[in-house]
Amino acid sequence: MRSPDRLTNPSRPVADPCMHRVLSTVVAAWLIAGPWPLAAWAAGPDFNRDVRPILSNRCFKCHGPDDGKREAGLRLDVRDAAIAELPTGEHAIVPGRPDDSGLIDRITSDDPDSVMPPPRTKTSLTADEKRILAAWIEAGAEYAAHWAFVPPQRRDPPAVRGEAWIRNPIDRFVLARLEAEGLAPSPAADAATLCRRVHLDLVGLPPTPEELEAFLADSAADAFERLVDRLLASPRYGERWARKWLDLARYADTNGYEKDRGRTIWPWRDWVIRALNDDLPFDEFTIRQVAGDMLPEPTVDDLIATGFHRNTMLNEEGGIDPLEFRYLAMVDRVGTTGTVWLGLTVACAQCHTHKYDPISHTDYFSLLALLNNADEPEWVIADAERTRREAETTSRIEALWREVPGDWPASVHLADRLAEWTARESARAADWRVVRPSAVESSMPHLVTQDDGSVLASGDQTKSDVYTLTLPPVDVPVRAIRLEVLPHESLPAWGPGLCFYEGPRGDFFLSEFEVRVPPQADRLAIATAGASAGNAAAAIDGQMSSGWSTGGRQGRGDAAVFTLAQPIAPREPIVVTMRFERHYACPLGRFRLSVTDHEGAEATGHPADVEAVLVKQPDDRTETDQDTLRRRFLATAPEVADRIKEIERLEASLREGLATLVLRERPADNPRRTFLHRRGEFTQPEREVAPAVPAALSPLPADAPANRLALARWLVAAGNPLTGRVTVNRHWQVMFGRGIVATLEDFGYQGGSPSHPELLDWLAVSFTEPADDGGMGWSLKKLHRLIVTSATYRQTSRTTPALHARDPDNVLLARGPRVRLDAEIIRDTLLAAAGLLSTKMYGPGVRPPQPEGVTEVAFGSPRWDASQGEDRYRRSIYTFQKRTAPFAFTTTFDGPSGEACLARREVSNSPLQSLTLLNDPMFLEIAQALGRIAVTAGGDDRVRLNALARRLHSRDLAKDETDLLAGYLAAQRGRLAAGELDAAKLAGGGNDDATRERAAWTLVARAMMNLDETVVKR
Amino acid sequence: MAGATRFLGTMAGDLLAVTRRHFFADCGVGVGKIALAGLLCGTLRRPAVGGGATLSPLAARPSHQSASATAVIQLFMAGAPSQLELFDHKPALARIEGKPLPPDVIGGQRYAFIRPDAAVLGPRFRFARHGQSGGEVSEMLPHLAKVVDDIAIVKSCRTDQFNHAPAQIFMNCGFAQPGRPSMGSWVTYGLGSESDELPAFVVMSTGSGISGGSANWSSGFLPSVYAGTRFRNAGPPILNVASPPGADARLADDTLGLVSALNRRGLAADGDAEIATRIAAYEMAHRLQTSAPELMDLADESAETLGLYGCKPAEASFARACLIARRLVERGVRFVTIYHEGWDAHSDVAGNVRGNCQKTDQASAALVSDLKRRGLLDRTLVVWGGEFGRTPMVEASAVLGRSQGRDHHANAFTMWLAGGGIRYGITHGATDELGFHVVEDEVHVHDLQATILHCLGLDHERLTYRHQGRDFRLTDVHGRVVKKLLA
Repeated sequence: MRSPDRLTNPSRPVADPCMHRVLSTVVAAWLIAGPWPLAAWAAGPDFNRDVRPILSNRCFKCHGPDDGKREAGLRLDVRDAAIAELPTGEHAIVPGRPDDSGLIDRITSDDPDSVMPPPRTKTSLTADEKRILAAWIEAGAEYAAHWAFVPPQRRDPPAVRGEAWIRNPIDRFVLARLEAEGLAPSPAADAATLCRRVHLDLVGLPPTPEELEAFLADSAADAFERLVDRLLASPRYGERWARKWLDLARYADTNGYEKDRGRTIWPWRDWVIRALNDDLPFDEFTIRQVAGDMLPEPTVDDLIATGFHRNTMLNEEGGIDPLEFRYLAMVDRVGTTGTVWLGLTVACAQCHTHKYDPISHTDYFSLLALLNNADEPEWVIADAERTRREAETTSRIEALWREVPGDWPASVHLADRLAEWTARESARAADWRVVRPSAVESSMPHLVTQDDGSVLASGDQTKSDVYTLTLPPVDVPVRAIRLEVLPHESLPAWGPGLCFYEGPRGDFFLSEFEVRVPPQADRLAIATAGASAGNAAAAIDGQMSSGWSTGGRQGRGDAAVFTLAQPIAPREPIVVTMRFERHYACPLGRFRLSVTDHEGAEATGHPADVEAVLVKQPDDRTETDQDTLRRRFLATAPEVADRIKEIERLEASLREGLATLVLRERPADNPRRTFLHRRGEFTQPEREVAPAVPAALSPLPADAPANRLALARWLVAAGNPLTGRVTVNRHWQVMFGRGIVATLEDFGYQGGSPSHPELLDWLAVSFTEPADDGGMGWSLKKLHRLIVTSATYRQTSRTTPALHARDPDNVLLARGPRVRLDAEIIRDTLLAAAGLLSTKMYGPGVRPPQPEGVTEVAFGSPRWDASQGEDRYRRSIYTFQKRTAPFAFTTTFDGPSGEACLARREVSNSPLQSLTLLNDPMFLEIAQALGRIAVTAGGDDRVRLNALARRLHSRDLAKDETDLLAGYLAAQRGRLAAGELDAAKLAGGGNDDATRERAAWTLVARAMMNLDETVVKR
Repeated sequence: MAGATRFLGTMAGDLLAVTRRHFFADCGVGVGKIALAGLLCGTLRRPAVGGGATLSPLAARPSHQSASATAVIQLFMAGAPSQLELFDHKPALARIEGKPLPPDVIGGQRYAFIRPDAAVLGPRFRFARHGQSGGEVSEMLPHLAKVVDDIAIVKSCRTDQFNHAPAQIFMNCGFAQPGRPSMGSWVTYGLGSESDELPAFVVMSTGSGISGGSANWSSGFLPSVYAGTRFRNAGPPILNVASPPGADARLADDTLGLVSALNRRGLAADGDAEIATRIAAYEMAHRLQTSAPELMDLADESAETLGLYGCKPAEASFARACLIARRLVERGVRFVTIYHEGWDAHSDVAGNVRGNCQKTDQASAALVSDLKRRGLLDRTLVVWGGEFGRTPMVEASAVLGRSQGRDHHANAFTMWLAGGGIRYGITHGATDELGFHVVEDEVHVHDLQATILHCLGLDHERLTYRHQGRDFRLTDVHGRVVKKLLA
């Protein structure tokens, strides 16, 4: 009997070319039980089921949607084109007449120059495939829309003979298929097995012995449903399901690439956990993550949610081109969006039009354009708590200021000192005139002049940025120019620079400061350059490799003063050019220019407002001016330095706060342009493209701007045929180990066909329809509840030789799921079984212990200093994820590195996994904890062994199992007593009989932890 | 339960027999189901989901075509050595030292640190021709000079990437972003393992941390059984291969016995083929606990051999890694990569080259001659090189404290290959007189990858894996076998 999976296997179309099985007639191929609607089985070749896979696999690469690579003018993915006359005058397909169809000639030809596919492609058609194509042409060569692009329709679940088995509509679809196959469902799993299974699925943890006991003792008819409701309400639910979402979101706690420095985006991870626990409907969950910042009056949570697409990597390696890696992050966002919501391999269209699916090269970049118009700040979370703290700090600062004069030593006369200071500083001050540039130009960053005359930069940067500022003529000679560099909340670390990667955040590096009087091209000689901090002379030395920076003083203002060798005459236009060049991008973020005709102007170190007061005649100073001077004097007076230091510390704390990575749509006057890149290469932008969704899918609404928010809403709009199916399928896969469509990430032509198409559509419709219409309103908890309470889910996972032979992969669902657990669940399960698991939620990633040397190969050979106390035992979702050296246990058990979107983890079974569970110190520690539990539990050895089995495997031992374990226990006791094994080391300290007993039980627990049952859901 | 017993007798027994056939036989499933037919048909592609006969993913498999190599040792000189100080002798650079390169030579080249108009830096060392082949290497490679007749020097390598992490990943995975399988993973996927006691793909690292990190030996979207197993420098080489303190070998035996017995019972009850592979995985793990220490114990190496490599047995070093690589290949390991990180000479390129050659030259040459005298070089392909080359222009920066260095250069660099069907005693390709561009017989990274696979009997266009709807290859849609390099 043919495996039903064969028909759904994406890499093997209808007939396996390698089996050399000759079917007597083509018809036999579709009499075989397949995944298709019952009604379809008896018909002739079905385009979607039988024909498209052949054309897609064998022909579309050269005769498909990509007109850049199309051969001989023949296009086979569209019927009108396929049956049209070719440039040669031939017809590839003549409907109803295979003998007149060039396609049949070519595929059956013996001539290597003529046969299709050509020998150089190293693929060929099997006899079956040739017969199918011939039969299809004979039958009229009809095409049909790809199933996944046709919106699912609400349909009544089918009638079945075995009504008694039905618990909910899922079961009707499954049973109808089983009945058609002549199969029966398996019996229900026993209560203990089911209890463990549903715990692992819904909360990712096994039941405690008490929970298991309570469930086994609950004889009410709805005991299982109540258990399910309790688990859905558990805070552990969000932690379990968030992990699945983190795989898709390529979440990590480091930036990736060489430097792989840490980042703070765990507030987004915590948002996901909360959203899942709150059962935020999946459509809203989607919109907030894709475009939360663009919602009307976005909440703090809406902004945090946009971290989804900030999980892309950031290259901080010396000398990279930041725009290249921003482009690559965009490429990642497009591919990830395609995989997560559309289940389409959109990423394939980066370099050229998709070879199989209807996604053109232009479509790809139009989709990129929808996502491309955002800035990517690190945003200090401005929640109510922060506002409260800010107000508190501000009033504390004011209070401190009021206390400063009280600190003044009685022996010194404050007013005299202030007067002296004022006189001295007034002599140094110059009468600066702030000049608002009449024109600002920039090589890349977006410059906007503010009301105070300062210029604020935002947007993209390069390693070599140039700002050109035209100053309006002034009516006095210009002897010096002052450049203030100023903080701003929109800048990294409050600026004054824009540096955000590799270098110190918020720093800048002014390589050259040039002054010209057009039309003269030569820069004017600058006699001196001084600054309140740093070496401004480096900005006028003609060397691009040296420059002025105030690094280390981020968040504070400073100024440089450039004195011209010869004054500029009044009313001359002045052009200032600032060049920023380093091996990383570091232009200024906020600055202000002023001029003066004052001779001997210098960088006084005073803020501009103070200096403006200093130059006033004493009689002209207002009360406020006096306050300004007094404060500035006190701020610099050694007598009150302690109090001032305290004030400065508080002021700095106002600029700090928990920040997370978010998206922020760009201002309307600075849209980012998106280009189609030839061959998808960053260096080859070709022509500008407009934002749009792929033309083959339903368009964006015409009455709203085509932007990221429109995309977000479109992803979950009613007419979208993909998102609902893709989402329910992914959750189905978690429960059953296999999707209804096996290729979770590909619903396109090359993807797998659904094993139960009507069930998939029914689930998708029910999941997405509003609750008012009887649907689930995108509620994942409702979806999960429906799945796990079905009779299908409750079947035993045991298989029989007959069933195994018939359906080894359980495609037909004649039994329950038996699936290797994810890495995180294995660790959490063992911690829980040993009573070690911490239930502390949220916060920065923690570092559980792992063997030495895991991180030594990463760049800079960073240390992995294991967390202490409770943080060693937190749930694995809180484990710090370092991309270039992931937590070893997770990698060993197939967990992701967070470098790419992952819809489905591969499952492997390796000796390294065995070695980890046997020998890793963390797992020995768990075994020791279990050993202590066994020793302190009551009863004889058999009772204790059973207690361990209940903790680890949620079941009672059979007698033969107990015998084997008891034999092992006895043997180890003997060896420990004889001193052949070191009890103190194995048990973790001590040297007496009790230690030996604990050691013996530790070894038993360790062995039981290494059973297959520990790492599977059954 | 007569049914269950019979079931165990047939299915479980068969499964165990199949899975025991090879070392990592036991590592597989979820993945354990390989469509053998696919291999026989000439397309090395495992179905993405289920179906077909159960076979270990690491069972040795026939290649596409006859192979000249069965194993690869990759000496990855991470950080990128200066070809201008080692292999690619450019006296012309000395003549124009201190002047910028002509703009038409530079074109639109992007650089990491320097400006394109930076001054030229002449070669820092003397070069001479050696051996019967007259291969030209610098005075920094006195040991390699003695084996030039056994190697092929390729002066015309080119890559697409000019930053370390992407370039290293590109060299290993054929793609500059993390997430695709590395060459060792592809090879293991294609050919399986010849060893039933050691991992098929081993990674060692003897310098500082590596820019590309673990993506360099990742299995990408291939099942993780194909990932490189990293050997640590201190302690037992494989993570957790040593039993816990206080345990002994008999405890390991006893525990394996108990675990196997209980798992066998589970197999009989549940009938899941995965249990059979898990049983086999534990047996394999058990063998590793013996074979790993035996591998690392260099007591049976003669003083002469240790001296040849310059290896102190107790000290982690590039030399020891090379000797272990030979021992791994002797034991049937398919792919070994040794990273030596430290060649990133942004400043003082002469000092950098001198220091790194002291650590690597003797052992690299010793590996070639030791493999040769043991008859292993014929089937072992040795590949030496970094992720890109270095600029003919000088790197100097007051603010970074750099002088007399060279920046990253993707356009032209040198690698060498030996053994495994590579022509020996040749120099392949050439650059222009300034060492800036390749002017003869360019070998792009994808060509190199295609050639390495070819030597192993694998057709780089047919070694594919279906992922996200597409058949992926190591060489993407590029690469051609460099025929002139083949013996």
